Amino acid sequence: MLVLLVPVLFGLMGFAVDLGRLYLIRGELKTAANAMALAAAAQLIGSEAALENAGNAALLTLDQGSGFGNRYNFGMLQLGQSTGLLSSELPQPAYFSTLEAAASADETAVTEASGTEARYARVNVSAEAPLLFWSLLSLGAERKTLVRAQAVAGVSAPLCTACAIEPIAVAALDPEDTTHFGFTLNTKYTFAYSCTGTPSPTGLSGAAQVLPYVLLDHYNAEAETLADEQTQLYRIGAQGLLPSTNSALACISINAERQIWTNAAPRACSQVVVSQVTSFLCGLATRFSAETPEACAGVPEIESVAPAYSPDTDLTDLEEYAAYAGNARRVITLAVVDSIANTSSMIVLGFRQFLVEPNPNDVTISPSDRYGRFVALYIGYPVPVRQGRFDGCQVAAGPGKVVLHQ
Amino acid sequence: MRRARGSTTVETILFVPLLLLLLMGTFELGRLTYTYYSLYKMLYTLARYAGAAQGANFCDPEDATLQAAKNFVLTGSEDGSGEPLLAGLTPDRVEIRIERYNADSGELEPCACAVPGCDTANGGLAPDYLVVSVPEGYAVQLRIPYLALSPIPLKPQVRLPYGGT
Repeated sequence: MLVLLVPVLFGLMGFAVDLGRLYLIRGELKTAANAMALAAAAQLIGSEAALENAGNAALLTLDQGSGFGNRYNFGMLQLGQSTGLLSSELPQPAYFSTLEAAASADETAVTEASGTEARYARVNVSAEAPLLFWSLLSLGAERKTLVRAQAVAGVSAPLCTACAIEPIAVAALDPEDTTHFGFTLNTKYTFAYSCTGTPSPTGLSGAAQVLPYVLLDHYNAEAETLADEQTQLYRIGAQGLLPSTNSALACISINAERQIWTNAAPRACSQVVVSQVTSFLCGLATRFSAETPEACAGVPEIESVAPAYSPDTDLTDLEEYAAYAGNARRVITLAVVDSIANTSSMIVLGFRQFLVEPNPNDVTISPSDRYGRFVALYIGYPVPVRQGRFDGCQVAAGPGKVVLHQ
Repeated sequence: MRRARGSTTVETILFVPLLLLLLMGTFELGRLTYTYYSLYKMLYTLARYAGAAQGANFCDPEDATLQAAKNFVLTGSEDGSGEPLLAGLTPDRVEIRIERYNADSGELEPCACAVPGCDTANGGLAPDYLVVSVPEGYAVQLRIPYLALSPIPLKPQVRLPYGGT
């Protein structure tokens, strides 16, 4: 009687032990897929080189060099390795330009996007899981079964609040144009700090149109370390708004009213820009060169913070953003406002991105420029912002952040 | 007839302890899997929570954002007032390792709490990846009759890219 019951018993125990383990393995594979998709999606910056960077970043989540990569089956097995009976494929992300295509159930019907169009990364992970009790029954005679997991990560809806961006404000050329605010893609603009009177700044070579800009106030009066205003501006120029739990300092919101940086009010054009702007540009110059320009030597504590910054991996003067092969160090996300004439009340309309270009016949920008000028290529909003929120503003277009979609 | 009934009795007497052992073993293995997965999900949730944090400083052991994140995943409440979801698992036993990509070696290396490094309070930059783990392991004692087993330390770990500021 009991002997007859044994297969039934094994079947039931299989439900307890094997099915439990299969669920665990699926969870582990799902986590591995999530990690890969998130890592890949963060590298999708709309350039042709993005896909290779994304693939590399995704595989780093499995990197076992220090023994901390994601694994499965109680953390014992590596993805992409065959161990005795079990084998698994090394997953490769696939890239798509729309979420519909990325989340499509039919994996063969949709074509993958190129680096310039890819916005979403999909990772399919499959691995063989061992069976214990069910392997004693005829249905599990292979002693293993295939478990799959899928994750889709990519850019989110346009952000209403963007953090860690550059606190530069430029006036929209055309406030009615909700997609590009009147800026033309792949066009170089000369950014010049807003000033009054004459002689007004001229465009640098190759970028005739001048965009006056101002710095938005994000001075942290309560900073305990690196508290000097010039040091703060240097760091902001080098890495964007500084990390803080206080969103008023770390982020900029659409429809919010912002003021100009108090000590960086526009001067007469006949005068040299204030030192605050120079310090900011010194920070911006770290995106090109690790060497501190002479004009920046006066920034307090610069020698202790400068080593944190590394230059972009692609410093070429580009006409087309698609050819950019760097790590997005040179990409700045700035606030487009209604007008910069009234510096005490600028309404943020949206965020747009520019690629800072080296000055003509140079490899970097010049922080000592008397007008605070630099050249930047308008690129739209292809690069995901590191941090941000959706606070219910109504925007049709703009940069998003990386989120998991599936 | 009597002999058949006798052999059934003997069979039953022989089998019942074995059956109990199997059932208890199954039960305990199920519990082990369940505990492991619970712990794993906690670490994943912590990695996601901390990995999207705003202004967290991984070099400050008392950073409020990270403490709240640990409390949230371990007890379900950010101030740590809730009951621990896994008995004995306290926030100080959970470690968040910060990593940075080294372009020269092509590998992820631990990010030092210095400049250049990940000490964001003193000018460092945020890490590239996070690994959340319980370095000493979370010990589970299997209770199977007739077997004296030493506790099994569960050591799941999760690596996620860091996407916060």
